[in-house]
Amino acid sequence: MTHPPALEVQQVHVTLGGTPVLRGVTLSVPRGELVALIGPNGSGKTTLLRAILGLQSIDSGQIRIFGAPVSVSSLSRVGYVPQKLELDRGFGLSVREFLALSLPETRHWLWQSHRKIDLALASSLDGLGVMPLLNRPVSRLSGGQLQRVLIAWSLLRKPELLLLDEPTAGVDTPGERSFYEMIESVHRRHKMTIILVSHDLSMVFRHAHWVFALNGVVCCQGTPEDIVRNDSLKQAYGLHLTPYHHHHTGEISHVH
Amino acid sequence: MFTESYMLRALVASVLLGPVCGLLGVFVTARRLAFFSDTVAHSALAGVAIGLWLGASDPTPAMLVVSIGVASLLLWLRQRTDLLTDTILALLLSTSVALGVVIFSQLKGYRGEIERYLFGDILSVSPKDILIAAFISLGVTGLILFWFNALTLITAHEDLAHVSGLPVRWINLGFILALTLVVTLAIRLVGIILVTSLLVVPAATARNVSRNLRQQTIIAWLLGLGSALGGVAASYSFNLPCGPTIVLVCAALFVGSLGFQTVRRHLGQTPA
Repeated sequence: MTHPPALEVQQVHVTLGGTPVLRGVTLSVPRGELVALIGPNGSGKTTLLRAILGLQSIDSGQIRIFGAPVSVSSLSRVGYVPQKLELDRGFGLSVREFLALSLPETRHWLWQSHRKIDLALASSLDGLGVMPLLNRPVSRLSGGQLQRVLIAWSLLRKPELLLLDEPTAGVDTPGERSFYEMIESVHRRHKMTIILVSHDLSMVFRHAHWVFALNGVVCCQGTPEDIVRNDSLKQAYGLHLTPYHHHHTGEISHVH
Repeated sequence: MFTESYMLRALVASVLLGPVCGLLGVFVTARRLAFFSDTVAHSALAGVAIGLWLGASDPTPAMLVVSIGVASLLLWLRQRTDLLTDTILALLLSTSVALGVVIFSQLKGYRGEIERYLFGDILSVSPKDILIAAFISLGVTGLILFWFNALTLITAHEDLAHVSGLPVRWINLGFILALTLVVTLAIRLVGIILVTSLLVVPAATARNVSRNLRQQTIIAWLLGLGSALGGVAASYSFNLPCGPTIVLVCAALFVGSLGFQTVRRHLGQTPA
């Protein structure tokens, strides 16, 4: 028996304030892939992401996560990494406390010793580079540090599908590179399905195995090499795209 | 001062309401709900007026009903209209104060009541009030501790909390209801005009001196208790109005915390 794909979206329509934002989106993400969902601003990426997460109702169509409709039960297999948190700088929540919210054995962190919490966290967070940040307030982390902490938070819940929303917005170029290297390493080690939602093409093209380009509908999909040569993507972005040589896989594409 | 029964009741009321205000304040400040608390508190004036107009000897039930009604109306208007929350709050605050004052103007012999509710009158707390305060403050403290992780995650990111399987809408409703109940009861302690400071100032002071959320929560709880007790004791000792004295104690502690923060920064001990 074949396993259903990690994510299946069929003919999804969403209208917001009278404007059709998603006009029959259909896509399928096989298990274990690292894919990117790209599109210019206003293309419906965020709306689709919110619909997948059950935060946005859909007018028609179907979304299935590992073969099941979107529900509390199917979402328990999904990790979501938002762009940023909504905390003001004075809120004292430390990285240790934030991560402790995610683990059942540290859910009583308010009464537990730091040593006990750190032991529980350390066994799950090896290699993510967040342990030195444990005492820092979450609200004062840099963009790159926060993304690592948010990924760590998701990984503690052992998801099978990880959704990242514009993960490198507000992260500088060196931080961006090391972030994507970490994502690739997480993908290899945990063998999970990862979907990167982004409008930043260059980094995504270097790391994703498959790309869906969205502009109200999925206007094209394929490997990064296929996508970059596609006319509909060029029209959607209004950009000049040229191929370039990638250090891992040979030829891949770059965006100007 | 403990030999006088009204004073003992005042101290018990402050022990019951001060700490729970500090605890709630941690999330009120983080979730930008200070103006909301202010609106709920001011709507209680309309509640008092309606209660007295209906002939009730104790207007507390009417205050609770009107405050909960205004909080629900706020949530409904926020969902159903494109108005900004600030605008809705200002609309509800001014309307309920105006309604309260107009009804009071038609009541004979109750002019002095307005001042009692505007600035608090802890010395008139009855044994029945103490019982209600005990029930609500213990219940709300239990609820906040039970939902502490959920409230923290919702404060950090509502969508993340939703995806984690939390019933975000119900928890938010429960929190708003708990806040409304405590604000309405704390009016007896410090009055309509000053009640928001009992929620906001201890929590803000705790932010200045703490390094993490655990410390912030414990310190806010202790400051709520200390300010309320200290304020009642000072008002008795120096014959000062009780509610404003409690708030001045809160403010003095806040100023002290600023000094503490400055010294710690100079010593280089503040987390980056």
